[in-house]
Amino acid sequence: MEDSTNTLLEVNHLSFRYESELVLDDINMNINYGDFVGLVGPNGSGKSTLVRVLLGLHKHYKGEVRWFGTPVRQFHQWPKIGYVSQKANRFNAGFPVTVYEVVAMGLYGKKGLLRFLNRKDKQRIHEALEQVDMLGYKKKNMGRLSGGQQQRVFIARALVSDPEVLILDEPTVGVDAASAQAFYERLSHWNREKGITLILVTHDVGAMTKYVTKVACLNQQLHFHGTTREFEESDLAGTYGHDVHIIHHEHDHHAGGA
Amino acid sequence: MIFLEFDFLRYALIIGLMIGLIAPAAGVFVVVRKTPMIADAMSHTALTGIAFHLWLASFWVWLSEWNPLYTGILFTFIVSFVIEYLRRRFQTFQELSIPVVMASAIGLGVVFISLADGFNNDLFNYLFGSILTVNAADAVVIGVISAVSLLLFLLFYKELLFLAFDEEQAAVNGIPVQRVNLLFAGIAALIVASSISILGVLLVSALITLPAAAALRVASTFKSMFLYAVIFGETAVLAGFFASYYYDLSSGGTIAVISFLIWTVVVLAEKTIGLIRQRSWEEAK
Repeated sequence: MEDSTNTLLEVNHLSFRYESELVLDDINMNINYGDFVGLVGPNGSGKSTLVRVLLGLHKHYKGEVRWFGTPVRQFHQWPKIGYVSQKANRFNAGFPVTVYEVVAMGLYGKKGLLRFLNRKDKQRIHEALEQVDMLGYKKKNMGRLSGGQQQRVFIARALVSDPEVLILDEPTVGVDAASAQAFYERLSHWNREKGITLILVTHDVGAMTKYVTKVACLNQQLHFHGTTREFEESDLAGTYGHDVHIIHHEHDHHAGGA
Repeated sequence: MIFLEFDFLRYALIIGLMIGLIAPAAGVFVVVRKTPMIADAMSHTALTGIAFHLWLASFWVWLSEWNPLYTGILFTFIVSFVIEYLRRRFQTFQELSIPVVMASAIGLGVVFISLADGFNNDLFNYLFGSILTVNAADAVVIGVISAVSLLLFLLFYKELLFLAFDEEQAAVNGIPVQRVNLLFAGIAALIVASSISILGVLLVSALITLPAAAALRVASTFKSMFLYAVIFGETAVLAGFFASYYYDLSSGGTIAVISFLIWTVVVLAEKTIGLIRQRSWEEAK
């Protein structure tokens, strides 16, 4: 039995359907502080839908979702959760907005209505840009950056409010293998050094198993949720329909399963 | 200046300058949200309200004392919330909410016009705008609307920017999306309805979308887009105003044509600068 005070996210008997189609079927999972979770599954397995339910974007679901012990429907401390959408860099490239202005948006929810950014907030924006090595680009127009650079800016926007958990939906789509590996290493570093909890949504199982500490396999149902080692030893044919090449990871796991 | 000795021209100029400020400012959000038709939908609905007022006034004479534009503002206000509701209710093909509402409103407007015994001079002025019909009361009402709109734009700037850029992400970050969208719809309705006196129903969207569309070509930051849009908007209003006075032309028409000319010059200048840069880069190679 896990210590419930260590639980950051609880999902109990969660089901969700789009009209007549059942997309999520009785999902149960807990995520603890400090976890680095890889949420994996083939395309159309319900990963992004699950994330949208967790973020309160889909209201009509059955079951229970709790962030920091509070049911998601009553949860208001959204700045504690950083999120980079799969669709983040599908924004209108002609939108006249600078890198700095985009990262500043990450603080707007935390500041609240009728309050303006102060010097400390501006310092925080610089720090977030430094964290993703994009400070030199702060005055650049967002539409003129490469896909990889835009992705780093969106991660800075998610980090700027000092979230306790960062959710990244398919962050390495369209990024070359070397950049994706560097990106995973950076995430792993933030997880170990800063203690930030990470939920990485991906269909790219092979690459991320080297870095994550827990794996959740979704294909409408949660077929597996446990440590990376347990994942490596499990039979995943039901989830993926083909063999998965496991890369053995080099660092220690966090203790405990779901 | 001779013409400023006339009260109505002084009021028209004051109203024009205020509208030249707030209409392009609203246009910045309308353009980046990719909903340019919303200004047209709102202004046509204002005409429905005006026609409704004129119809009621045909048997309740006491209503003739009231400016029909106020009924137009009320209708625009209601319709802006209906559009916002439909946008939320039908997430796929959200953009259809605008033509659905616009077509229905125009239909209803035409019914009211026929009930009010057809087209008359009043309605003609509302369609194309006139600087001859404004008075001190209009200047006061539009002044209040301008001040309130600008204040709300300043106070909710960060929320409006985030929503325009990425509505879903704004919701995840805890921005009250529905309330801010409704607020914007309300401000836009007020601005559109108050621009009708000078610009006319058919041409309101020219001053809302064209200066913002031109600003989009030259602005590098979101804040600078406002600055450019307002400069282009005020230029169009002033040039249109003097042209309409000295050459006896329709104020709405001249403001719209000058807005279009500004947009054309900006686009051509942008293309020319791009070509010159390309050539100098090729020569340097």
